[in-house]
Amino acid sequence: MAKLPVSPEKIITHFGPHLNFAPQEGYPGRDEPDATVKTHCCFCGMQCGIQLLVKNNKVVGFEPWMEFPFNEGRLCPKGVQRYLQDNHPDRLLEPLQRVEGEGFKPIAWDDALNRVTTAIRQIQAAHGKDAFSILSGVSLTNEKSYLMGKFARVAVKTANLDYNGRLCMVSAGAGNKKAFGLDRGSNNYADLEHAEVIIVTGANVSETFPTLTHWLWRARDNGAKLIVIDPRVIPLARTADIHLAIKPGTDSALYGAMLKHLVDHDLLDHDFIREHTTGFADTIAAVQDYTLEWAEAITGIEKEKIRQAADLWGRASTSFLLHARGIEHHSKGVENVLGCINLVLATGRIGRPYCGYATITGQGNGQGGREHGHKCDQLPGNRDITNPEHRKYIAGVWGIPEAELPGKGLTAWELIEAIHQGEVKGLLSICFNPLVSLPNNNYVREALEKLEFYVCIDFFLNETARHADIVLAGSLHEEEEGTVTTAEGRVVRIRRAVTPPGNARTDTSIILDLAARLGEADKFTYADTEAIFNELRVASKGGTADYYGITYKKIEDNMGIFWPCPSEEHPGTPRLWEDRQFATPDGKAHFNPVQFREPSEVTDSEFPVVLTTGRVVSQYLSGTQTRRIGKLVGLIPEPLLEIHPELAQRYNIRQRETVRVTTRRGSAEFPANIVETIRKDTVFIPYHWPGKKSANQLTIGTLDPVSKIPEFKVCACQLEPLGIFTQPGETNAFDSI
Amino acid sequence: MEVTAYKTDMEFFVDMQRCIGCKACEMACAECETNGHESMIHVNYVERAVTIQTTVQVCMHCDNPVCARVCPADAISKDDFGVVHTANTARCIGCSNCVMACPFGVPIKEEKYDMMMKCNMCYDRTSAGKKPMCATVCPSQVLFYGTREEISRMRPNSTPVNTFLFGAEIVTTKVNIMMPKGSTHLRIH
Amino acid sequence: MHFSLNKKAALISFVATVVCVVISFYGSRKLQNFDPALIAYLFGTLFALFGGIYRYCVWLQRPPTWLYFKRTWQLVFNGRFFVHAWTLITDAIKNLLFQQFIYPRGKKRWIAHFMLASGCMAAFAITIPLTLGWINFTLDPSTALDPGMTKLYNANFFGFKVMSFQLGSALAFFIFHALTWCSWLVIAGAVIFLVRRLTNAGLIASQTFEGDLLPLILLIIISVTGLGLNFSYAFMKGIAYDFMSVTHAISVILFLVWIPFGKFFHIIQRPAQIGAHIYRREGEKKGMAVCPHTGKEFTSQLHVDDLKRVTRELGFDFTLEDGSSHLDYSPEGKRSLLAKAHLKARQENGKLFG
Repeated sequence: MAKLPVSPEKIITHFGPHLNFAPQEGYPGRDEPDATVKTHCCFCGMQCGIQLLVKNNKVVGFEPWMEFPFNEGRLCPKGVQRYLQDNHPDRLLEPLQRVEGEGFKPIAWDDALNRVTTAIRQIQAAHGKDAFSILSGVSLTNEKSYLMGKFARVAVKTANLDYNGRLCMVSAGAGNKKAFGLDRGSNNYADLEHAEVIIVTGANVSETFPTLTHWLWRARDNGAKLIVIDPRVIPLARTADIHLAIKPGTDSALYGAMLKHLVDHDLLDHDFIREHTTGFADTIAAVQDYTLEWAEAITGIEKEKIRQAADLWGRASTSFLLHARGIEHHSKGVENVLGCINLVLATGRIGRPYCGYATITGQGNGQGGREHGHKCDQLPGNRDITNPEHRKYIAGVWGIPEAELPGKGLTAWELIEAIHQGEVKGLLSICFNPLVSLPNNNYVREALEKLEFYVCIDFFLNETARHADIVLAGSLHEEEEGTVTTAEGRVVRIRRAVTPPGNARTDTSIILDLAARLGEADKFTYADTEAIFNELRVASKGGTADYYGITYKKIEDNMGIFWPCPSEEHPGTPRLWEDRQFATPDGKAHFNPVQFREPSEVTDSEFPVVLTTGRVVSQYLSGTQTRRIGKLVGLIPEPLLEIHPELAQRYNIRQRETVRVTTRRGSAEFPANIVETIRKDTVFIPYHWPGKKSANQLTIGTLDPVSKIPEFKVCACQLEPLGIFTQPGETNAFDSI
Repeated sequence: MEVTAYKTDMEFFVDMQRCIGCKACEMACAECETNGHESMIHVNYVERAVTIQTTVQVCMHCDNPVCARVCPADAISKDDFGVVHTANTARCIGCSNCVMACPFGVPIKEEKYDMMMKCNMCYDRTSAGKKPMCATVCPSQVLFYGTREEISRMRPNSTPVNTFLFGAEIVTTKVNIMMPKGSTHLRIH
Repeated sequence: MHFSLNKKAALISFVATVVCVVISFYGSRKLQNFDPALIAYLFGTLFALFGGIYRYCVWLQRPPTWLYFKRTWQLVFNGRFFVHAWTLITDAIKNLLFQQFIYPRGKKRWIAHFMLASGCMAAFAITIPLTLGWINFTLDPSTALDPGMTKLYNANFFGFKVMSFQLGSALAFFIFHALTWCSWLVIAGAVIFLVRRLTNAGLIASQTFEGDLLPLILLIIISVTGLGLNFSYAFMKGIAYDFMSVTHAISVILFLVWIPFGKFFHIIQRPAQIGAHIYRREGEKKGMAVCPHTGKEFTSQLHVDDLKRVTRELGFDFTLEDGSSHLDYSPEGKRSLLAKAHLKARQENGKLFG
């Protein structure tokens, strides 16, 4: 029964999203706080240091944390406003149960948790262990991520656990594992500072990771050349030395042609290739036909510009390549990543000062959350759930027979399909809002409606949680101790600033309670969060993501420790591969041949325009938090359809005219923003909004065969102007249904 | 205002080509205690239809502030540190002379208060020896607050300029704009 | 600070003060109704009058102020003013009587200001005419001698009887204690403000003692000693009466003397806000200026033209080579122009960074 109990309008009246604004003169007590807590921003993988001001167990403001080395006080608008998620009128203060025709009514904790465990038992008894699934998220701390993995395998005993990292950086993770045997950005961002050439591809840094801009600009102050690859003139691209306005879905063709240019002009590091890599011959064979002319025809970038970029990259003595979801959200996301890595390996510029390569992880704990086993195919320490030795080690840590440890489960999107097909009947979700963030979300909603039982742990009633039978009021980032791992691989401390309000409980205590009720209390008893971390350290020991030598004290003393850190004496590893010993079985970095192939849906006469999606600076992912903060909503009140004037003219679309965008999966209406800063064959829509304003009604659920990431970044659409004009902010997109 | 820890060796340096339009400064400005959750900094698209270029404008704190001179109510004053303060709330009559006369387009008429407000260089912070909120958070360091020595070390190819030419008018300011090395002024017209 | 006497202003204020003295002389029936106990207050009031008008005249001589002043009178003389009469009346009620514009800045702030302002203004309305001898109270002669009759009091204005009331009636209680009510309002308002000023970090950073705190303290002293006088007389058999009356007199005189120079001048200045409203409406009727950069209207053309003139008078010259002016651009347009000029300079140099 995972249908809405009452109309969405009624749910919104009670549970929001409502907009929170600070009082006119700030929250009282801001000038004389009880405590100033050094912690981190909850949004994005940069994990900027920030100090929260606390008065009477409420977060009343913030003060920049000047000493934290990555951001030195710098913040983006989300960071500045993050404190307003506390004191929020929509905050869930007690557990809720779905009551048909009435909505969500309070329920006692004991009853709520019993209903959950009863439902788990009933569903598993009737349909098998794997019929109950868990979806988790990587805005959770390392401790909670680890705990969710253990909870699923040991307490619920299901194989079907996956997480929203599946929509994030799994392609990068898979690519990095193939090439380097380890999934982490190879360098910390300080290595940008003296890089001669920097490529940023598929990463709208200025909107998604604004505080990283500083390090790019520092490099440019020192003379670095910046190459930006993006279908739009993003703020980084405006001043870039070279901007390659690529056609969405053709990234691997560009990297292939650049690699061929390096080979043709002998801009290679032969010693490095010979000594430290494998697979080079096959890799260049795969691109031998990728001439600049061919690449121009495929990618829509003038060949001269491709030549310039490849030449600049080839001739540099230091460099850094950064990529993000722009190249990873594809049915060939892993291939795109490998295409980038091939460019890095061919020039041998890795494992040295100012020679770097990294994916920019998106979510708050996108890095740490993907290492400790709440992913369907993974165990803590970034171990493989199908590897017998890895299974044995973790089973030992958890005190269960290896045979009882479930195997590989379904990935997030596959889970939705399995629910659709009736194979999965129950769902527990935490830190995930699939109704906004998954592609083709009409299909997702239909799946949710087929669930027999759905329980959601969250601090706000997000759009997906409206379908829940039971909602457990969990905790905010600032309400629990813990650690997260930043996009650089730096493990940092998250501090509890306040305790959960009302009858809300910490996520950890909810999970531990559920585990105990499922009869596994002995395996889920911890003195405190640090005890969970200490178990994680042991569980990760010997894995590629080795945290064994990291302790809370060490993190606090050093303002973060970079993993791998195998022993307590080890200082951590800000820069990987300095010893040229890669984490692959043969100790070498692997070239991987990449041949270009088309995206899963290409334009045709019926759907003639390329649609791509992305983010805006004032919103974070599915907006559960940021669509509730008044000023952030005010900055960009609604999603606009970005379209080039020539394309607009072809359809007779005028500025701010509402345009119906239709794909094979659905249609939605957006006001047009006619700008010259986008390709003439492509339109762009940001995806943070729900309901009628959700761009993910249109996107496609085709998966990468390796990483199983959906192809958010490219599909085919048609456009139809509707002759309706609205003023900015006239329609409430933030609570759209 | 009597007891102050204002650091006179600290200056404001702006380089709008570094701006990414994120508006962190705008959000942070509203956190300044002196302006009651109103933002006094301006970030705007220069011409969105053709470019993503944004510009950010803080009060330049002119040596001879036009805003103060055109104020019929004598509501704007400059202090000994050269900080041009926002309108005295008791005096301001909301006429908007300052808004329209400021050559940099800085003062804001808050219609709901029927009063002008403007950047006072985060006086609550700078007078306590801290950096202004906007310059502290700015992720691209368009806005930099520090010493001349620091900026010349960090940006060796740029020169701070505080002379601006608007037709025949030469305006000199307390706040600097970073220009190509060797520049002496910025001509707007 | 360098001070030089503004002769024009001095002359006007001198004449005005003399006129006031003359009016008061005859208004008090050749000092017959004048209360000699108020002599110190009288001089204070006259000084405040002289100083207030002097300051007002100096203020008017600022080119931007003079322009607004002139525009207002032009409206009066060409008859357009009466089109705005309704605005004038409603604005006066909203802005002067109720200070409505403060409300959006904070409810508490408005309540405090409203109490403070009403208390002060009512007190002025009572004390100034009393001090100048324009108003006095007399026992009605027809009831004065008959011990059996209820005593009737007459209130006289310029010596003419305007009303009478019975001693001991509610009205009498209200009138005789009017200043008490004012005092309580002022104390309540001033204390709220004082607390705000001592606790709000933004205010602490930008306020001055003499400009912001002292006026509040002074008002509180005046009100408390005023109340004290009454209290001492009614309940304490005159204990501490002298101390209180001296403190009261000193603080009131300080207050009066300070009106022209300090924070209290804004009371005299505030009506100009209504002038600004009317100027704006009139300008909007005449036509709006369109920014050449944004293509949008931003203020009235009258305002732009007036500002061009005023800035020239003040020694600024924003005229451009083509005869147009930098002031033809809206604030957003000006910011964009600066950014474009900066980009151009950076591009010509070839380096956008470093």
